[in-house]
Amino acid sequence: MNINKPSPSHLWRWFDPRDKSIGTIAFIINRLSAIGLTIYLFLHLAVLSKLVAGSQAYDDFLILAKSPAIKIGEMFVIAGGIIHGLNGIRITINSLGFLLKIQNGLLVGLMIIALAAIVYFAIRMFSGA
Amino acid sequence: MNDTIWTIELKIFRQRADAQRYFQTFQIEINPDEYVLDAIEKVWAFHDRSLTFRHACHHSTCGACGMLVNGIEKLTCITSIRSVTQNNGKLLIEPLRNFPVLSDLVVDTSSMFKALEEIGFNQVASLPSACLPYERKTLEHERSEYQRLVDCIECGMCISACPVSLTDSNYLGPAVLAAAHDASSQPLSNKILEIVDSRDGLWRCHNAFECSAVCPSNVEPGLRIMKMRQTVIAHRIKKLFSRG
Amino acid sequence: MPTLPEAIIIGAGFTGCALAHDLSLRGFKVSVLDRGEIASGTSGRTHGLLHSGGRYCVNDQEAAIECIEENIILRRIAAQCIEYNGGLFIGLNERDQAYLPHFMAGAEACKIPVEQITPQKALQLEPNLNPALLSAVLVPDGVFDPLRLALAFAATAVENGASFFPHHEVQEMLFNGSGNAIGVVALNRHDGKKYEFRGDIVINATGAWAGKLASLVGIKVPVVPTPGIMVAYNQRLVNRVINRLFEPGDGDILIPQRRMVVIGTTSFEVEDPDYIPLDQDQIKQMYDCACHLVPAVSQTLQRGVYMSARPLIKTEMTGRSLSRTFKCYDHKESENIDGFVTITGGKATTCRAMAEKTADLVCSKLGISAICETKETPLVSYRKFFWH
Repeated sequence: MNINKPSPSHLWRWFDPRDKSIGTIAFIINRLSAIGLTIYLFLHLAVLSKLVAGSQAYDDFLILAKSPAIKIGEMFVIAGGIIHGLNGIRITINSLGFLLKIQNGLLVGLMIIALAAIVYFAIRMFSGA
Repeated sequence: MNDTIWTIELKIFRQRADAQRYFQTFQIEINPDEYVLDAIEKVWAFHDRSLTFRHACHHSTCGACGMLVNGIEKLTCITSIRSVTQNNGKLLIEPLRNFPVLSDLVVDTSSMFKALEEIGFNQVASLPSACLPYERKTLEHERSEYQRLVDCIECGMCISACPVSLTDSNYLGPAVLAAAHDASSQPLSNKILEIVDSRDGLWRCHNAFECSAVCPSNVEPGLRIMKMRQTVIAHRIKKLFSRG
Repeated sequence: MPTLPEAIIIGAGFTGCALAHDLSLRGFKVSVLDRGEIASGTSGRTHGLLHSGGRYCVNDQEAAIECIEENIILRRIAAQCIEYNGGLFIGLNERDQAYLPHFMAGAEACKIPVEQITPQKALQLEPNLNPALLSAVLVPDGVFDPLRLALAFAATAVENGASFFPHHEVQEMLFNGSGNAIGVVALNRHDGKKYEFRGDIVINATGAWAGKLASLVGIKVPVVPTPGIMVAYNQRLVNRVINRLFEPGDGDILIPQRRMVVIGTTSFEVEDPDYIPLDQDQIKQMYDCACHLVPAVSQTLQRGVYMSARPLIKTEMTGRSLSRTFKCYDHKESENIDGFVTITGGKATTCRAMAEKTADLVCSKLGISAICETKETPLVSYRKFFWH
């Protein structure tokens, strides 16, 4: 009898994009970017805590931070921030009761802007290196 | 409109009391201009009388026959076979998600009906108020003397598709919140406010708009939830200033 | 306390649900069994027209009078699922014009409140009508939601103590030593087990399937499943029911419902109504009829098609000439089986009256003097059916 009932154990199905509409894709991206940004926050705090260990430890780390792998990681952080932020703007606009009839278009438009911004930051970051 | 006959394979979810659930496959021949519900009824009539499913009106006014067809919520009585498969193709038929299965394709929607009743949602309304907010303007002056059955047929498909309903059994769900919006087209009552402006109400929605995507009846629950948020926010702001 | 009389009703369509409501009010303990869901046979698939009686007022006045009486009662007790905007009979040619005086006389004889209006006025009220109309008559038609009407009766019955057992297929009837019915054995499709139901009276309310069920115990009930087609289009082009001003015929009624219009119907006989394939020629025929009444149908999309098997009672006549009234059989009289009655025929609009007549018969058989209260009892919300 109990199968099929709502349950927190179905959480993994949030991330299953099969047979879903574009709104769920945004829902998934928003959750993934949020998880990513949260992980970054903790990494960031961990790095800052190196300051406690003295300036030498921190400077050593900064050298490491210039490596391409870390840079790609940072690129993900920027992308996550932009996507999550713009998506949040869409949700706020919608939740205030506006632009509801074009919410799919709004999503696509904002994600195009996000993509453009990500490309821009990527070029700046990697060419400036 | 012709006498084409397709052979299709229906893979149907079966569940009997506490027994193990499984999928059973049936091959039938059917005109592709008939509907998925007709195919299921044909399986019942000619292959297996033990198959249970819910249906009544066969033309999208009762809301009894919502199921998953190839993984997507469909009102099977108006989903033509042609639109979801091809000749020699397959159809995967499952019960709606997020409601307990009674047997096979029959789910227990009583929690939804209870909540809808609590909202005080009427099935018959004046013509303008039975339409969507953005359609009302043209109807209000000339057609308000007419009444009609509202759009929501209480099929439960929006709740089946909703990612929040999937993980939280306390969430009121899109059908109920949309009904609350419908019932509150007149000034917001305290009772409705109390129900929707709560932990399990309006603010739980995470804007996936999957409800509006699967709704077979033009209700646009997603839009209605957002409009309701607007109303409640405006109400809160007003209250803030009227106190001061 | 004396024990309550117990009734077992087979069939949870309009008749079964209305009868459960009636008998519960009269103090019966009622159990309703159906092999499927509430209204999953003919009842759910009805056109949805709350008849004013106008359709029958010329050639079947008995049915017409039943219709207008029940129309008024249902609007009072079941307003929760009825869109009531009235209806129009429209004449489109000389043949229809010749029928008009008969129609007006018939309506008057049956006490149906009608009002003839000018074609211009009709077009003002319903701008999508065929502009070539020659005459128009307003009638008190309505439109109901089939499932919700059945559920409203069922919910009220449940409030008064009745029990419903959907997905319980009756497999055999139980008899006592003197050959009288005392109950049934039903197979519960949810768990695959058989259960016994015993009562003082067993009522066959299976409509188009009444003959099939009665044959289970070797009884013949002369009911002919007579399906007709209905086609729904995806725009609400009218607010009133649009009827062709002529004798009952194919595709002569177009009803609005929610955001749709639905045209019906045809009439042909089948032996087994369990599965009736959609007839593509009839779909085309209905489309032409609908376009003739309301030309804008040509700009809509087809939304759904369905076939519904009316339970017509067999006489020497066939098809549409059969009366649309109902009949109650006491099998004590015909086959000397006591405790078993059959109710069939009729139409959705008259389901309450069918239930009343059947309950009267049941009461007189069991020597109970309770009177019918369903005319005055408003039905509770249909949703209450789901959480008794």
